[in-house]
Amino acid sequence: MTTVVSPEEAPTGDYRFLIQEDRVHGSLYTDPAVFAEEMKRIFVDGWVFVGHESEIPDPGDWVARRVGLEPVLLTRGRDGALNVIANRCAHRGTRLCPQNEGNDRTLRCPYHGWTYGIDGALLGVTGPKGFHKNKADLGLDRPASVDVYQGFVFANISGTAGPLGEHLGRGGISLIDRAVQMSPTGRVDLRGGWIGQRVDSNWKMWPESNNDGYHVGFTHESLARAVPGSQYDDIVLGGEGKTSSTTRDHGLGHVELDFRSSYESQLAWLGTSREKVAEYCEAMEAAYGEERANQILWDGPPHANIFPNLFLGEMNIARIDPISPDRTEHFHTPLLLEGVPDSLNRRLLLQSEAAMGPCAFFLPDDVAVAERMHAAFNAGLQADQGWIDLSRGNQRERVEDGVKVGDITDEVTNRGIWHHYREVMANGVGRA
Amino acid sequence: MTVQVDADTRREIEDFLYHEARLADESRYEEWEALVTDDIHYWVPYGSGDYEPGTRVSFLNDNRTRLATRIRQLMSGVRYSQVPKSPMRRMISNIQILDVDGDEYTVGSNFVIYEHAVQATNDIHTWAGRATHRIRRTDDGLRIAAKKVELVNATEALPNLTFII
Repeated sequence: MTTVVSPEEAPTGDYRFLIQEDRVHGSLYTDPAVFAEEMKRIFVDGWVFVGHESEIPDPGDWVARRVGLEPVLLTRGRDGALNVIANRCAHRGTRLCPQNEGNDRTLRCPYHGWTYGIDGALLGVTGPKGFHKNKADLGLDRPASVDVYQGFVFANISGTAGPLGEHLGRGGISLIDRAVQMSPTGRVDLRGGWIGQRVDSNWKMWPESNNDGYHVGFTHESLARAVPGSQYDDIVLGGEGKTSSTTRDHGLGHVELDFRSSYESQLAWLGTSREKVAEYCEAMEAAYGEERANQILWDGPPHANIFPNLFLGEMNIARIDPISPDRTEHFHTPLLLEGVPDSLNRRLLLQSEAAMGPCAFFLPDDVAVAERMHAAFNAGLQADQGWIDLSRGNQRERVEDGVKVGDITDEVTNRGIWHHYREVMANGVGRA
Repeated sequence: MTVQVDADTRREIEDFLYHEARLADESRYEEWEALVTDDIHYWVPYGSGDYEPGTRVSFLNDNRTRLATRIRQLMSGVRYSQVPKSPMRRMISNIQILDVDGDEYTVGSNFVIYEHAVQATNDIHTWAGRATHRIRRTDDGLRIAAKKVELVNATEALPNLTFII
């Protein structure tokens, strides 16, 4: 049964009304029509993070991913080239690989035995006498555009999003650069595996929650009590206007919580000191020179979201998979580094286990809050109810070198995400 | 393979597992924590855990220090993923004594947990898997020196798992 509601009552589809300068409407999280439109405008027409080339070092390696609702495989071909191919037989649409990762010479469909190369080319059709089409025309579907920056693989299914560099912009590029420069070789090595967190909330709560500096002292109060002296004490204990950490909107939906100025020593972000990781520090100085190495070791990896689904979460890389309006999967892997002692990578992995995943000290409490938020909204919210206020700090926001900057508790990040989202949803990528 | 132990020892081990299960079900954190040794390794691996802990990211990989932090966080009263605490009950069966080594028993068991996720969704979550305990006989009685929990769906994205499993 369909309930007919007039636009005045439930303002579906009018993104310039639903997303205002200082508030957004709760139905954006729950409306199935909004979700369907996002899957097209953001996840088909836009650039989406898929994985990292270090995950598939050898020919035949593959990992299963999603680009929006599209199940794909990120593969390393026999020729060493990267491929992003649909995890779906070109014959009748059977999912080819039910596992999360593997290494195969070929991919064979269990339904009628069609066989594909790891690059997605159709190699063989069983019963070839009855097959009169050209095999070259029937490979696996694939995104029209795939590009790589610093090993991070992005796909744009429609091929209409323009260059990846324009999607990342100066802000996105600098944030990714800051993550990879934690390695003396300038390369991260994401071979620590992924752990998934299932959330009964809309996907958009994740770029928001991961980059909300205001909640840390409340949602994560339990950790501050259990572990005094974490790198977040500046937020938890600093008090409004007294902290030096900032929220930053780099534009294009890329936003950051910047803790750099609040650290009181090098390696504070790792909860350690130079003496304990001396070999790493020496490798960094050899690679970057003393001055720059000191700065990198002070700054640590960024805490930022690359629109729409890549979270550079300090010692973690996370990807946000929308499943339905009411369901999201949030996967993380530790930010392991090339060219460092195993002991350092082990430390990074332990930090990652502490921060994210269903058992961790941080993420589950964010999950509880996101699920409670989601449960409080419904798709048919009236226009005069269910608004979410995003005004915090908009009177004290400032612009530094093209980046909007605010207090760590200000909603600069939320506004940055939503205002970019509004342009994408109202106008489309590249037409903002 | 299993090993033979006398009936009293087997009963003692079973009773210990049932006691641990009840403390976990009822989120009696301090009493549960009192059952572990100072060198405990508590592990919920990805998949079946066919890797060395620490070489691949796990759901949970606690030494004694981290487990103590976990319990302190749960007892803070503001660990929101367990506020309110999940009402839950677990069934343990298929208990096998897999090895006896000095004062330690390696014990396998299957479990099913029904958890009422009251914090937000009010769904019933079903958790199924196999636990492998290393149980040490100490002067204070039996204690848990290691617990590995292999969930049947530990390759998937899972909902919050911040209670004691």
